[in-house]
Amino acid sequence: MPRRKLPRVPKRIVELVEDLRKKEDRLALALSLVIGALVGLVVVAFILLTGRFAAYAYSSGGTGWRRLVIPVVGSLVAGYLLYRFFPLARGSGIPQTRAAVFIHDGRISIRSVIGKFMTTAITLASGIPLGREGPSMYIGAGLASSIGRRLGLSKNQVKWLLPVGGAAALSAAFNTPIAAVLFTLEEIMGDLHAPVLGSVVLASATAWMVLHLVLGDSPLFQVSGYHLVSPAELLIYALLGVVGGFVAVGFVKLLLWLRARFLRFPASTLWLQPVAGGLTVGILGFFVPQVMGVGYDQIERVLNGDVILKTVALLAVLKIIATCMSYASGNAGGIFGPSLFIGAMVGASVGGVAHLVFPASTAGPGAYALVGMGAAFAGIIRAPLTSVIMIFEVTRDYSIIVPLMIANLIAYYVSHRLQRETVYESLALQDGLHLPGGAFRARSGLWVTVALREPPQPLTPEMKVDEATMRIGDSDLESWPVTDEEGLVGMVRVNDVVDAATGSQRPVTIATIMKRARAATRSGDAAFPHVHSDQPLGLALARMGDTGHNTLPVVSRANAREIIGIITLVDVLKAYGVDTTRMTPVRGTPVVE
Amino acid sequence: MSDPVRQPSGPPPSASTSEFLLTFGLLLLMIVLLLAFDTGLARVDKAATTASALQEYKSGQGLAAAGHLDDAIDHFRNAASLDRDHSVYTVALSQAILAQGRPGVAEQLLRPVLDRDANDGAANLELARVLVNEGKPDEAKSYYHRAIYGLWQGADAERNRTTARYELIDLLAQSGDKQDLLSELLPLQDEAQSDSARRRIAHLFVVAGSPERGSDMYRAILRQNPRDAEAYVGLADATMAVGNFTLARDHLEAAQKIAPEDSAIKARIALTDTVIAIDPTQRGLGLDEQLRRSRSLVQRTIAAARRCLDVQSPEVAAALDSVTRSLVASAASIPRAQAIEENLSIAGTLWRMRGSRCATQPRPDEEPLRLVQERIGQ
Repeated sequence: MPRRKLPRVPKRIVELVEDLRKKEDRLALALSLVIGALVGLVVVAFILLTGRFAAYAYSSGGTGWRRLVIPVVGSLVAGYLLYRFFPLARGSGIPQTRAAVFIHDGRISIRSVIGKFMTTAITLASGIPLGREGPSMYIGAGLASSIGRRLGLSKNQVKWLLPVGGAAALSAAFNTPIAAVLFTLEEIMGDLHAPVLGSVVLASATAWMVLHLVLGDSPLFQVSGYHLVSPAELLIYALLGVVGGFVAVGFVKLLLWLRARFLRFPASTLWLQPVAGGLTVGILGFFVPQVMGVGYDQIERVLNGDVILKTVALLAVLKIIATCMSYASGNAGGIFGPSLFIGAMVGASVGGVAHLVFPASTAGPGAYALVGMGAAFAGIIRAPLTSVIMIFEVTRDYSIIVPLMIANLIAYYVSHRLQRETVYESLALQDGLHLPGGAFRARSGLWVTVALREPPQPLTPEMKVDEATMRIGDSDLESWPVTDEEGLVGMVRVNDVVDAATGSQRPVTIATIMKRARAATRSGDAAFPHVHSDQPLGLALARMGDTGHNTLPVVSRANAREIIGIITLVDVLKAYGVDTTRMTPVRGTPVVE
Repeated sequence: MSDPVRQPSGPPPSASTSEFLLTFGLLLLMIVLLLAFDTGLARVDKAATTASALQEYKSGQGLAAAGHLDDAIDHFRNAASLDRDHSVYTVALSQAILAQGRPGVAEQLLRPVLDRDANDGAANLELARVLVNEGKPDEAKSYYHRAIYGLWQGADAERNRTTARYELIDLLAQSGDKQDLLSELLPLQDEAQSDSARRRIAHLFVVAGSPERGSDMYRAILRQNPRDAEAYVGLADATMAVGNFTLARDHLEAAQKIAPEDSAIKARIALTDTVIAIDPTQRGLGLDEQLRRSRSLVQRTIAAARRCLDVQSPEVAAALDSVTRSLVASAASIPRAQAIEENLSIAGTLWRMRGSRCATQPRPDEEPLRLVQERIGQ
């Protein structure tokens, strides 16, 4: 960053700022609040501007021709801007955010953020049936990235800011603070225990508060409480899960297939391609206006049971076509909102038929539309936990949780069986980006338990080093467990014991050696490095790296002082398939026979 | 970046303190400016959507008044979608949908409104109407109460509350819930201004089992307007309800003098004459006549019971035959006064049995019998 001459700052403030910069916790707290507020406000502006533009474009009393012309013009304008000025602002924004996290060291240019804002606003206002949530997430992540770079944070630190901004944006765009956190961790980071959890929660909550401050407290959809009419109804919800799963797979496959076709066209046609989506929407919208836009009002109508079976089934099909064409042709916008629309229509169709056949033992179609939204979302986006929480948050209806979970999991399972990669992974792959995904994470799921071995006979704190040396013998372990009458107290390095045994200050006890080691590493008495059998091997490796112990105790989760085994670096490498017999022996890395 | 929960280590920011401070300051300034911009934009948006919603609502009202319910619903739906703060749009939408014969959908629309504000008078009233339409009068009553005691927007609050109360009263009168009906009528007693409203309340007092209050109201009306034939007829009904058939006939005659061509009054007089003719408890009757009338009453009651009870049922048939036999047998063996008592008792028991076991209301030609039985039951 170029240095500029800036006005002199009072010493006290300088001290405060320096203190803030040195203490990462405080910096994280401050940045989470600032990013949450800023992103929340930008997203609110985005929502309001898009809404206003749409209201002007489709003012009351307009003719049907507008529905044909405006999407075409809108996609043409947005297409040109995307081609000429903002090539990175195409599509939803979620694969791009993930690419920024995993490939580009957290770098998202402010230019593409502005481009995303503008082109998505034009696209959505012109009635193209794409969602605002993915683009918002990209805008939020991009703002966070810019702020981080402007503050001179390291690449790694900037990278961690992206989910913070993304979660804040999603929270404000969808009015779903909890789902925003879960989605960010589940889909963007791929780890529900990601280290940024606290910051993500804080930013999401701040953005949500900003949203409420400006736009008031109102859920996305207002629905009356639904409940299970009879236990047998669960079967129909399960069937809805199956149908939702198949529809989700159909949607994703059609989207990817169409996009693959568009990607084959020459790059010089990129500016014109979005018009194909706009024209499709215009034609469909001319005859069936409900196809246009993201359709949240239509969803609410269906959620409240205002369902005509033929209409909702038709809308489900037409929305799939319109959304796939719009997205595949390169318009700016996401598939969050459309997946909810499709799910609601599919759910209402299934529920409508069920209610027709079993009127006494089934709820109205609105209840099925609600569950269908979650099922389609779980099947398309492949984030089942987010899906359940999100449906709660957008409707504030907690009364139909069991059917929702059942349908979600079934849809997720069906979708997972029929389409290995998630939609975002597949979209990234089409762009030549190999991002880590759920399937990858599942395949690499090696746990500590696979490399667990029996613990050796432990040493005791009062044991003399001579006795300890005899017990250790010629073992290849680098560290040895030490226990007292209450259980494990820590690990002692074999080298430290051997050194003490050959040193001048004999006789010394194991407790003394451990005390010296703690003093050297400035670690407290209470904590000692350990892992649990259900933790990933990668974590064990990381912990070995952090502590310098190549042997770690595996302890019970119920009682950390109960040792249930040990794990060594060699065991970990063998579990990963590394041929350790060919490794060059280095100090601290024993070679197995 | 680090996290308050877990802390991945990283170097401190590379920007100088001044640049760091400047960036933070700029960010805070942007937040303030954006907040002002968003707030202003939100106000503009709110004003525009509120105006659009009102326009849609008015269009919907016009279309609904012209009978174009489908189009009206579209406009009401747009209004409700644009402006959720005004429940009147959702209420209008549900009204139109109810008029279309889809009470289930109307109910689904109203529930979230009441989840947001349980005291919304208009939404409560509309939901009560929907529930009545759905055949759930008991549930509807509580929503009528909430409508009566809830919050109403605009200057017509009191009128709307009165409307809700009258609708509840009608519902209670239909369902025969006299206790609740009476408790709803009492607050209205002094509120009613017009004669028609007062006559209506007076009539409902009679229905609610408080004919004395009804009589008082009718008399008050007649003091102000002695030429009110309807009030005389109502007063006659109230007087009949307390069992004073002769006086009731006098009131009907007074009504007939005012409206001599009114066939309804003539019919009421004929009915009263029949009642007087069969009532065994009329003053001035000799014991023989009382006994005759009491026997006749038992036979009429048996006939009424046979018409509605399942006479094919051996139990019922046997019970009725037994009553008839005991009536004939006892007449010769016991004193007349006792026979009259027993006949009246048997007739009363049979009438109550009929009331509890028969699904149908008494037929029009059984009206004199019903009035006499009620008189005896008092």
